[in-house]
Amino acid sequence: MTTVDEIPGAPPHEDIEPDEDIEPTDLATAKVIPSGDIDALCQEFRAACQSAIDPLEIASTLEFNGWSDHAIEESFGYPDVFALAREMYRRVPRHPLDPQIAPDPWGPSRLRPLLHGLLYALPAVCFPAAAGILTGPGVLAVLVVALLVGWSLSQGLAHLGYTRRGLAGPGQERPLLRRGLAVGLAIVVLAMSLTALLAHARLPVVLFGTGEGAYMLGASVLLVVGAGRWLLLALAPGVVASAVFLGLGRPAYLEFVVWIGLVVTPELALALAMKFTRRTSPPVGRSWSGAEVLRAVPSAWFGLAAAGLLAFPIAAGLHGHGGPNTAALVAALSLSLSMGVAEASLIWYRRRTQRLLHASGDLGGFVIRARAVLLVALLQYAVAAAALMAAVVAVAAGGGLTAAHWSELPQLASYAILGAALFLALAVQAFGLRAFIVAAVSVALAFEIAFRDLGVPAQLAACGALLVAVGAYAALELGKVVRHGY
Amino acid sequence: MSEGTYPFQLGGVSVWCDQLIRGMGDYRFRIVALVASGREPSMWQLPDNVASLDVVPLWGPPSTARVARRRARSSFVPLLRRLIDIVLSPPAERQHEFAEVLQEIYQCAKHDDLTAGLDNEEGVRVISDAWRDRWPDVEDLSPNLHDAVTVLRLFEHSLRPLSRPPVHVDLAHVATNGLGALPALTAKWEYGTPMLVSEHGVAIREQYLVNRHGPYRWPVKSLYLGYLRRLCALSFGEAEMIAPGNLWNRRWEAQLGADATRTRTIYNGVDPAWYLALADEPEAPTISWIGRIEPLKDLETLLRAFALVHREMPAARLRLFGWPPYGQEGYLSRCRELAGELGTGDAVTFEGRVEDGREAYAAGQVVVLSSISEGFPYTVIEAMACGRPCVATDVGGVTEALGSTGLVVPPRNPVDMAQACLTLLRDVDLRRRLGAEGRARVLDLFTLDRAVSEYRETYNLLTSGRSLRTDLSGSEPQSDDLLALGAPG
Repeated sequence: MTTVDEIPGAPPHEDIEPDEDIEPTDLATAKVIPSGDIDALCQEFRAACQSAIDPLEIASTLEFNGWSDHAIEESFGYPDVFALAREMYRRVPRHPLDPQIAPDPWGPSRLRPLLHGLLYALPAVCFPAAAGILTGPGVLAVLVVALLVGWSLSQGLAHLGYTRRGLAGPGQERPLLRRGLAVGLAIVVLAMSLTALLAHARLPVVLFGTGEGAYMLGASVLLVVGAGRWLLLALAPGVVASAVFLGLGRPAYLEFVVWIGLVVTPELALALAMKFTRRTSPPVGRSWSGAEVLRAVPSAWFGLAAAGLLAFPIAAGLHGHGGPNTAALVAALSLSLSMGVAEASLIWYRRRTQRLLHASGDLGGFVIRARAVLLVALLQYAVAAAALMAAVVAVAAGGGLTAAHWSELPQLASYAILGAALFLALAVQAFGLRAFIVAAVSVALAFEIAFRDLGVPAQLAACGALLVAVGAYAALELGKVVRHGY
Repeated sequence: MSEGTYPFQLGGVSVWCDQLIRGMGDYRFRIVALVASGREPSMWQLPDNVASLDVVPLWGPPSTARVARRRARSSFVPLLRRLIDIVLSPPAERQHEFAEVLQEIYQCAKHDDLTAGLDNEEGVRVISDAWRDRWPDVEDLSPNLHDAVTVLRLFEHSLRPLSRPPVHVDLAHVATNGLGALPALTAKWEYGTPMLVSEHGVAIREQYLVNRHGPYRWPVKSLYLGYLRRLCALSFGEAEMIAPGNLWNRRWEAQLGADATRTRTIYNGVDPAWYLALADEPEAPTISWIGRIEPLKDLETLLRAFALVHREMPAARLRLFGWPPYGQEGYLSRCRELAGELGTGDAVTFEGRVEDGREAYAAGQVVVLSSISEGFPYTVIEAMACGRPCVATDVGGVTEALGSTGLVVPPRNPVDMAQACLTLLRDVDLRRRLGAEGRARVLDLFTLDRAVSEYRETYNLLTSGRSLRTDLSGSEPQSDDLLALGAPG
């Protein structure tokens, strides 16, 4: 009575499927094999014999297809299925066929990175549209805290969701994400309230920051459960209203519509996240455990530190003493836009390394080629990110937001280097390696904060060192074969 | 020691475990349960005489504790090299070395981290080199690095039970002879605990079937199944007693070196006071089926057979009681689609899960088992206890269970299955006679009391340290008698 799914040694969810080459209705014909004609039997079970690792495997196949000891003795004169299987194993040489290749989980999908790129980029249009309400004290503090909390919680939530799905099966991440969403939302509200108190921010500013954090949480949940397309629907009110508002030259009569849109977008994202985290299958195990949450902490910390690296130069100003730093703002925006490209390049990298693993028999050769593939993936991303940055700078200069002067080049370069480092950091984390990356990103942020008086040079040094460290680590670890087997 | 069953799954082995533990209230049990991820919910309320439940996840994440990786690597990699070399040798050779190397891995795992020791580049290199040495010129096989990493992962996961401290008990009872034997072996090595190995289906046979068409390439399949085969043989060799759930299993066990003088067949049993003889039949000619809806049960053949029955007997109905286990929901959908394609309309109904199986037996004039693999199915002996005649496929211990009280047909043969169903549906006297004989056979051979008392006797024997060969003589069911009764009626 032991059944296949009761055997944990077997790959999860394996079935004993019927032999495809022998249809049920053909079974009767198995009995019309001329009595004693073992060659005919070998021919019928040729594929099974060629792929068998030993006679017992052939015996199991014979029994599975209805041959009993009694029938075998009558038809072939062998005492049992095992004796006949031994003879068949002897007669048919090994010529194993490769099993059907499972669908490539990293198969080409141009649509998804494009969609994700849009999802990362579109919210940006809401910020200039909301300039009317983003006034008074504490605006920068609220926006930066919302970004830090939102990134941090999103990363942690995504780790929780993906890990749960990997361990317990598709759909099992939903109740966990639902709870995580509620807890995350409470943290966002708390963080915004505290920031408002300390920075004396106005209520509309606090509400905008809360909406920003809530949207990031809802978006993260929807992306994990594979409902990213629905996020476009959530974005539509805020983005369309903002775009029209800006396009028409900020007419006063449309301000109210923009506010409505900005309120509806995060609420819709949350509502959709709730809808897509409804339970669809019976629960497996506890809803969550302390250990599970603890394992998500490094991911959340990475989100916090990475958001810090993006936001700190904006908050600190060009010379580390506050004040505007539009070049940093523009560069950070272009890095957000480049995340779609980063995802596409990472998928390409995974696909190529998997192919390499299947095609290689030599460890040394694999190490060199795997590193080369990583370098190409990095260059793909870097070129695309640089092009995006140039485009954003051009648009911003056209709109009078930035001067597009050569003096801004070091600032832009430091963000380009940061983008490359974060790309490699994401690549490494995708293989479950987090400790070194979290430490490196944290040290880089700490350096920037400690030496903020130096301004852009400090940022350049921190990001450059981060790129070197993460690059060396990635080359070392992702060159290992064991990292790619799953 | 359970493996993917009690108390985290429903199904025959779990029913048997629960019955055994409850039936032997004077024994205290410590359950070591091998599971997949460690997140599985318990499906059973554990009886009071269960002292502890030790869960061993085979596929969950490794411990995050800091470990001495270099030391672990230098400990385990040479052992892995020996293990691979042994498994690649002909099965009849070097079995004693296989036992030695597993013991050494167990000893090393006491102080070094098994996962850290195996999951590294050296492990991959060991496997690649072993393949190259063994098959230098066989182009078809051409193992690649993906194969090597896959083998490494399979070995690392399947050796994990060796890294757990063994339970200190009087008797280690293995419920399924697969990886579940490892905790019993460690108890034997550490404390000299006697081993009892039960087997309901034949675990290694099912592994052969699972892996026939993938997902692994031949080099991987060869190593992994070779390892499992040797482990089964080792377990049979080390066991003080082997208790197959039917005589049919013994054929397979003999192939793996099980000593017949240490083997005693103990059948599953049912409580005849719970499964009372049903007095009435449903008015409409109805076939009922109960079980977990999964490919192993081959409902497609049953649906095809019923389509033939329905053509001959339009009033006939098929009622299917059960629900797919987690991950098999797609199979239920395929069965529903097939039923629609076969044009049987409302005559086939999917009734869902029932708490009380008697409801399913009462629903049919005939009970069918269409499985392609079974041990000693409870469905059959429960239906027999209820006085319902069965049509069942000739798999596992089905013929031993039914004797001449039911109709046995080849698996995956809808024509023969339909013919047998029609024979019973058309002949009320035959149904009554076979039903009565079936219940009498259960009362005689397959009661719960009998099964529990045989295990009690076995436990007492093994914990007393008496000579087993002497005590077992004359206690084995005579296969000729049972199989003679098992001819299709």
